[in-house]
Amino acid sequence: MNRKNRLLEGIAASPGIVMGPAHVLTQEGQVSTRLLYNDQEVAEELKRFNRAVDQTEEELTRLRGEIAADLKEHAHILDLHLLILRDRMLLLETQKLVKEQNFNAERALYQAFLKIKEVFQRIGDKHIRGRIQDVEAVYRRLRGHLTGRGASKTFEFSEPVIIVARDLSPAETTHMSSSQVLGFITERGGKTSHTAIIAHSLEIPAVVGLDNATLEIESGEEVIVNGLSGRVIVNPDEAMRRSYEVRREEFETFKWEVTQGSSLPAWTSDRHPTLVLANIEQPDEVSLAQKYGADGVGLYRTEFLYLRQRQLPTEEDLFQHYRQVVETMAPREVTIRTLDIGGDKFLSPLEYAPEMNPALGLRAIRFCLKEQKIFRTQVKAILRASAFGQVRVMFPLISSPRELHEARLLLESVKGELARENIAFDQKLPVGAMIEVPAAVTLADLLGREADFFSIGTNDLIQYALAIDRSNKSVADMYEPLHPAVMRMVRDVVQVSRKAGIRVAMCGEMAGDPLYIPVLLGLGVEELSMNPTSIPVVKRVIRMTSLGEATKIARRALALATVEEVNEYVNKEMDHRFPDIFRFGRPLVANRVL
Amino acid sequence: MAMTETKLWTIEKELWVENRLGLHARPVAKIATLSQQFDADITLEKDGLVVNARDLLDVLALDCPQGSRLVLRTRGPQAREAATSITSLFARKFEET
Repeated sequence: MNRKNRLLEGIAASPGIVMGPAHVLTQEGQVSTRLLYNDQEVAEELKRFNRAVDQTEEELTRLRGEIAADLKEHAHILDLHLLILRDRMLLLETQKLVKEQNFNAERALYQAFLKIKEVFQRIGDKHIRGRIQDVEAVYRRLRGHLTGRGASKTFEFSEPVIIVARDLSPAETTHMSSSQVLGFITERGGKTSHTAIIAHSLEIPAVVGLDNATLEIESGEEVIVNGLSGRVIVNPDEAMRRSYEVRREEFETFKWEVTQGSSLPAWTSDRHPTLVLANIEQPDEVSLAQKYGADGVGLYRTEFLYLRQRQLPTEEDLFQHYRQVVETMAPREVTIRTLDIGGDKFLSPLEYAPEMNPALGLRAIRFCLKEQKIFRTQVKAILRASAFGQVRVMFPLISSPRELHEARLLLESVKGELARENIAFDQKLPVGAMIEVPAAVTLADLLGREADFFSIGTNDLIQYALAIDRSNKSVADMYEPLHPAVMRMVRDVVQVSRKAGIRVAMCGEMAGDPLYIPVLLGLGVEELSMNPTSIPVVKRVIRMTSLGEATKIARRALALATVEEVNEYVNKEMDHRFPDIFRFGRPLVANRVL
Repeated sequence: MAMTETKLWTIEKELWVENRLGLHARPVAKIATLSQQFDADITLEKDGLVVNARDLLDVLALDCPQGSRLVLRTRGPQAREAATSITSLFARKFEET
């Protein structure tokens, strides 16, 4: 393990500098690789593996026993899985790799699985070839037992580690806490990928888009992650460690300075008020929002409770969580976004096929209007929570007035139900539509008739407007918030909402990047919602900007034809006005290499 | 599996895959389960490739769609019973269509 120090470069995705041992997850998400040192280790590893096989068999047998008589089809599948589990290709091959190659069981099992996959790829018949899915299901179940985590994934480490992975899914990061994870390094993803967003909210540094990270770095190696520059140093020498300490100090000092006064309201220098709000995902992030001086919660993501457990959350469950957030923030407003996931994201018990193109699939409001029982439960919990503070509700991915109308009808019917049950709720709960599909921009005037407010979700809006998958590294750099098309959309939505007399907020990553703040103010956005950590710097920029100047900047930017020109203009303007923001502040909140 | 030292007959039979979907998961599972009940070595051959009938994944990997021809070989104390049962399983098209 005494390999030489080396420097790797990726994309800075969450600010901060940290040093610690690497923990490498392979492509599969949680396989750590390690070589066994002696015969005793090999013997223990085999015992561990065989125990996992026994546990998997017990589990499958138990599941088999629980199946109702009318679900014969399902029983057949479990029978098949039991046979696969005891198959030579999987069992013997894994044991052989442990014995002969000194692989740890996870790696050996993975290799054995890959080998089977290879064999199956050569099969001509489609139906037979497709059975690799069953092998994979068994592989996953077995691996779950091997790592002692059961079928669902949780992460437990003996010491805080830096996670190195190909990519991290929402379900995976949900189980991570900042006390166990010092930082993230991923191969995939861009500045606004899920990993970046999570790292921001956990306040830990992250470098993404680092090619071959899981191959370049080994578990246990000491790593410095610089989430400001996007650099990663593996096995740093003494001099590197010292300069790491200095940089860390400088950064922490700047952070401290900015945080001063962040709890005061942010008015522009010519005395126009704005609201700087927090995006939160988990109830305990409310404390972050408060710590960084949020004027409210502009986006409360509610997927969390649905992703982390196998059962759908109960109304009471949801209500307790919402109430806690609402009560803590009161009298400040909390905007709750209803469920924004698709059926394929549920761990269980809903059975939906994986989607080819989830971003364009059955998700968010579409899913909710289809699964009305789930939706009603959530809406009811939100309404109940509304009695305990200032709540707004908003529906994601609205693409037509009909969807908004249907959602409102459902809301009204739930209200009636609550009234009959004599349960308190806010009669005038404001209802908002998220503007994140280009169709909603075009139809904003119609949506305005049934909405009390709009919230522009820039992450999706930009993705859909520019047809860019922001987690695809080959096109991630074409994800341009200042694209003329995006700016015009924002301008149009603001104009429509002014005419309709309704409030308009913005809640994508763009809203929390100091670089864009003057442009957004100039376009007329007065409520910005962002990761709590971005709030102090954004407030600072707002206080140093006058609305008059901002309007001019926006007008000039709108007059430019290409995104390159806009970027150049805005960067120059900002560099000139806010030099220190560019040194530390921007990477503090945004995700770009200095 | 008790293998006797005595020379035993090897029974050889020709089998045709007649069900519509071929040797997909369920038929192969049936073959494997059935094979485990006999004290006999049971192999299947297709195009020169020989696999143990109990090794489910190996049998799947033989890639036998409808119309494939296989050679069944059984050997051991219960070779005859094994051959009869498996041949019959194929003849019944694994209770499929």
